Amino acid sequence: MSDKAIGTYVRPEFEVDTLKEATNVDVERQLSLVERISNINAVRKMSILLGLVILWQGYTMIAQPEPLLFPSFVSSAEVLWETIVSGEMFQKVWVSLYVLLLGYAAGLAMAALFLVLAVSTRIGSDFLSTMTAMFQPLPAISLLPLAMLWFGLGIPSLVFVTIHSVLWAVALSTHVGFMGVSETLRMVGRNYGLRNIPYILKILVPAAFPAILIGLKIGWAFAWRTLIGAELVFGAAAGKGGLGWMIFEKGDNLDTPYVFAALFMVILVGLIVENVIFRNIELNTISKWGMQR
Amino acid sequence: MPSEVMTTGAADATSAASKPNAPILDVEGVTIQYKTKEHLITATYRVDFQVFEADRFVILGPSGCGKSTLLKAVAGYLHPVEGEMRLNGTSVTEPGPDRVMVFQEFDQLLPWKTVKENITFALLNGGRCASKNEANDIAMEYIQKVKLDRFEDTYPHMLSGGMKQRVAIARGMAMEPAILLMDEPFAALDALTRRQMQEELLALWEDTKFTVLFVTHSIEEAVIVGSRILIMSPHPGQVKAELNAHDHSHATIGEDGFAELQSKIHNMIFADRVLEDEVVNHG
Repeated sequence: MSDKAIGTYVRPEFEVDTLKEATNVDVERQLSLVERISNINAVRKMSILLGLVILWQGYTMIAQPEPLLFPSFVSSAEVLWETIVSGEMFQKVWVSLYVLLLGYAAGLAMAALFLVLAVSTRIGSDFLSTMTAMFQPLPAISLLPLAMLWFGLGIPSLVFVTIHSVLWAVALSTHVGFMGVSETLRMVGRNYGLRNIPYILKILVPAAFPAILIGLKIGWAFAWRTLIGAELVFGAAAGKGGLGWMIFEKGDNLDTPYVFAALFMVILVGLIVENVIFRNIELNTISKWGMQR
Repeated sequence: MPSEVMTTGAADATSAASKPNAPILDVEGVTIQYKTKEHLITATYRVDFQVFEADRFVILGPSGCGKSTLLKAVAGYLHPVEGEMRLNGTSVTEPGPDRVMVFQEFDQLLPWKTVKENITFALLNGGRCASKNEANDIAMEYIQKVKLDRFEDTYPHMLSGGMKQRVAIARGMAMEPAILLMDEPFAALDALTRRQMQEELLALWEDTKFTVLFVTHSIEEAVIVGSRILIMSPHPGQVKAELNAHDHSHATIGEDGFAELQSKIHNMIFADRVLEDEVVNHG
């Protein structure tokens, strides 16, 4: 080591006259069919579902459990199909969705109000963070007894608990999203004369849209859960029941395949909202804008 | 282009008598302070300068001299505790579309709007255009000026850093502000792109002769881009000198005058640093 001189190794310079053509590699080629198919999200997810269904049907065929306790996939699917064809299922879904939409819309409106206050004043911001800290961990369903006392056994009580499950989730994540909007974007907005509500709508909301969308999704999932749960508790007293009431009623009558069919529907509605509605919103907004892969 | 720069320079030098009546921007005795959780910091202390029409006025200084703070105050985001800033005679109190700012950060473009929409957004909200069609036309004109036609319907995340800065410059120029404020707009670009952008900015200036207030910490950039350079010393930021640089551009980089000016500025800034070290040592 010591007797080696350390210094710059000077090599002759050179310049390439003509570049070699890339002949032995594909500069660009289409992926194989299998690669392309496995790149489709829906295909991958559907194959997982298919696997689960096969597992279920296989179990009931081999172990032969009591059908009243654990019906096979096929018999549950048959009941689902029958109730869909007869229109009974859609009527239940509609009853549930109607209440959900009422609660969701009211929850969003209230969240928007709180957020405007939170953005414009410090006390509003403190108020919102205190309220979300208090109510976010509280299961909405635990307010149902109070709601029944205040609003009676009917839609208003269901809407009340739904609002409660949407409001704090949306307000919290939107507020966090607003606080994460870069100082540069804020200054750009103010540079072009935007103030107050236009500033919130044209700068903060789109800039915080990834967080808002997460809030909307969580709020939706909370609301759907809460609503089905609430219907289980007092669906019997309401004029006409939704999906939760169907689960309760059919379970009581030991119509287990119906219970499964109703559970399917609860899941199905959830999947459609998540994978069709929210996915499309995502594709047309944050994916297009490069805020999400 | 170089010859044009030279003639403008010569005109400036010979026609000292035909000084414009009033400056576009008049900064007088401006002291800016801001508070951190524990300290009150004076960013600039009694800074004076005047920017005249078609100036390429550069504020140059080391980090901590308050040059960006000063620019933000001119933009109306910060308020001086002392002194006044007047734009065409009116005191600056809040941000407005008559002083458009081009930032260093690439996220100054609205990611949810295409290149064209970013510009029309500014034109419509800033009150420069009343109709969408008019805004579209102006936007396309400036997109062509910064050579981004074909990309008008692209979203910012698909653009390179240099292209994003070009959009931001186009957006600023399209507003035709009284003064264009640029806060180290090329500092986040690679060296080759930076040089290209400096050339393009100068070409745009040749074209429309807009007034620009440009903040940088690069001596070379100041000499190339600026027609007049304000040198600031740090802690707190104070005016150290104002020098002319209208004779210099990329074309004169190799010449003696360029190197001379560069080393003159270098010494001014460097002298400060030595002084500062001494102060620290004695303290």
